[in-house]
Amino acid sequence: MTMIDTDDRPSGLWRDAWRRLRRNRLAVAGLFIIFGVVLVAVIGPWLSPYDFLSQNLDVRNQPPSASHWLGTDDLGRDVLARLMFGARTAFLVAIGVTVTAVFIGVSLGAVAGFFGGPFDRFVMWFTDITMSVPQLLLVVVINASLKQPISQWMEARYIETLNPIYRNSTLIDFVLVFGSMALISWPAYARLVRAQVLSVRNRPYVTAARALGLTNRIILTRYVLPNAMGPLIVAVSAGLGTAMVLESAFSFLGVGVTPPTPSWGNMISDGLRVWTNYPHLLVAPAAVLAVVTVAFNFLGDGLNDALNPKGQK
Amino acid sequence: MTALLEIRGLTIDIARDEGPARVVDGIDLTVMAGESLGIVGESGCGKSLTMLSLVGLLPNRIRATAGSAMFGGKDLLKMTPGALRRVRGSEIGFIFQDPMTSLNPVIRIGDQIAEALIYQKGMTKPQAAIRAVELLALVGIPAPEDRAQAWPHELSGGMRQRVMIAMGLAGHPKLLIADEPTTALDVTIQAQIVDLVRDLKTRLNMSVVWITHDLALIAGLADRIAVLYAGTVVEDAPVAEIFDRPTHPYTRALLDSLPTLAGEAMSRLPSITGTPPEPGRRPPGCPFAPRCPLAQPACSDAVPKLAPVPGSDPRHRVACPIVIERAVA
Repeated sequence: MTMIDTDDRPSGLWRDAWRRLRRNRLAVAGLFIIFGVVLVAVIGPWLSPYDFLSQNLDVRNQPPSASHWLGTDDLGRDVLARLMFGARTAFLVAIGVTVTAVFIGVSLGAVAGFFGGPFDRFVMWFTDITMSVPQLLLVVVINASLKQPISQWMEARYIETLNPIYRNSTLIDFVLVFGSMALISWPAYARLVRAQVLSVRNRPYVTAARALGLTNRIILTRYVLPNAMGPLIVAVSAGLGTAMVLESAFSFLGVGVTPPTPSWGNMISDGLRVWTNYPHLLVAPAAVLAVVTVAFNFLGDGLNDALNPKGQK
Repeated sequence: MTALLEIRGLTIDIARDEGPARVVDGIDLTVMAGESLGIVGESGCGKSLTMLSLVGLLPNRIRATAGSAMFGGKDLLKMTPGALRRVRGSEIGFIFQDPMTSLNPVIRIGDQIAEALIYQKGMTKPQAAIRAVELLALVGIPAPEDRAQAWPHELSGGMRQRVMIAMGLAGHPKLLIADEPTTALDVTIQAQIVDLVRDLKTRLNMSVVWITHDLALIAGLADRIAVLYAGTVVEDAPVAEIFDRPTHPYTRALLDSLPTLAGEAMSRLPSITGTPPEPGRRPPGCPFAPRCPLAQPACSDAVPKLAPVPGSDPRHRVACPIVIERAVA
């Protein structure tokens, strides 16, 4: 926070938005929760005395206790340690997916909106098609059809080169999950950015920039995009939460991150099978996912109000 | 004096679903080197579009369909978009109407001016930063080093218009086009901006085209005035001639509708009856005929051409055969 306040180049717009955001209690609460979970995701594995993978079959399905704060699962693994590592998975997926989707969406949407013409029609046609395919179906098809051949190719590369990177199955997981989820998320960003660019590109300062003889590239990157960012920031904040829920949903259905790598989704999926006997195995990951998602939405709402003060009642 | 810009027969159409609508109909205009030309006309008479068409800044669906615009030996209307981009800023500078919205809110003043210098003139960043401060000083902004660090929203309207002028001058253009630059400003600030542009014009030896609907404002600025009505030039004369011997019925009506200090107190100002024709619904012949007190049936036969007014300055030309006949008689 102080970092932004003492920034030697704070733009008035952003400084005002930050001040309004700070006055919104829910948004600040959301920010704190997100900050806390990020901290846990980064240093969590060093905080816990237990490894998230090591099994201890003597202490299976234990309820919460002093030694295992959130109990243990059916293989005797510490639930808290797995949750903390799950935070890492959740944020990696959320950030990876959102960054990829925003990159694709912003590039296509901005260029389409700024130049218009056939490219614009092509991009809009492409987003319509992508959005018309049921999201879940697309992800399931991508994972089901690509996972096998990619693993085989990686295995073959490993035998050829003996490079251990090809042995890493988590990598395939992440690439596939990131890729397929980004593929279903970008059209929303593309549409949003295109609509913003359409409204900004006719503002007087854009005409003035043209009259100065600036190139289209400079006008788009320095004049149009920075002034079209507000709604995108709100969408990204909400999108991070959505990506986490999506990842959990896909892990729950078995097309997300593969066990034993813990993800909140596959923990919920495992917990659901035994929830009548061991409710803590379901409640703990579900509660964490719910709280973090709500935190992202609070932050998104707060950002929306902070960046569009005129929209407030 | 040599001609810097020669517009001949410029015609601009709006593409519409029901067919093109003509907004500018065969305009002829000449700007001499070092001259300042005032273009006067009502809203929608095509004065801004005429100037925007020169540098390829017409909005979508609006196109220059005929004519030529010779500038420095080249026809601007036939240039490629890339070549026109290099003309903009470095040879023809622009100042726009609304200083409040014509500056990018997320770039500091100094950086915004420097940007033009870096991309247009190939200056390095430090060179451009120094030049930006010099330009701010040139347009009379106090403490230019500090102001260069300011954000657009921290400046008043008059200051912002000065910044816009500095940006328009950044490339050292031969021609500065000012599109109603004072309309959004207070009267006292208007006078300052007019003085500033007049001063800069002599100092930098440029030509200025000042677009306005305010005749009184450019009386002290322009060497010559062209009066536009519905996309045609109806009268083109040195500034003193326009005020002393307004000839075209429209010009006279415009001048009559200005308040004067000598006028009778509490009397109503005369106004011109009727409204200008909409684009696409131009009357045949003279576009002003339906509102003209001197109109005769013959006025609707052909669009009148600009012709010298007998017995006055040879540069005084008017597009009305009736007043010319009267002048001869």
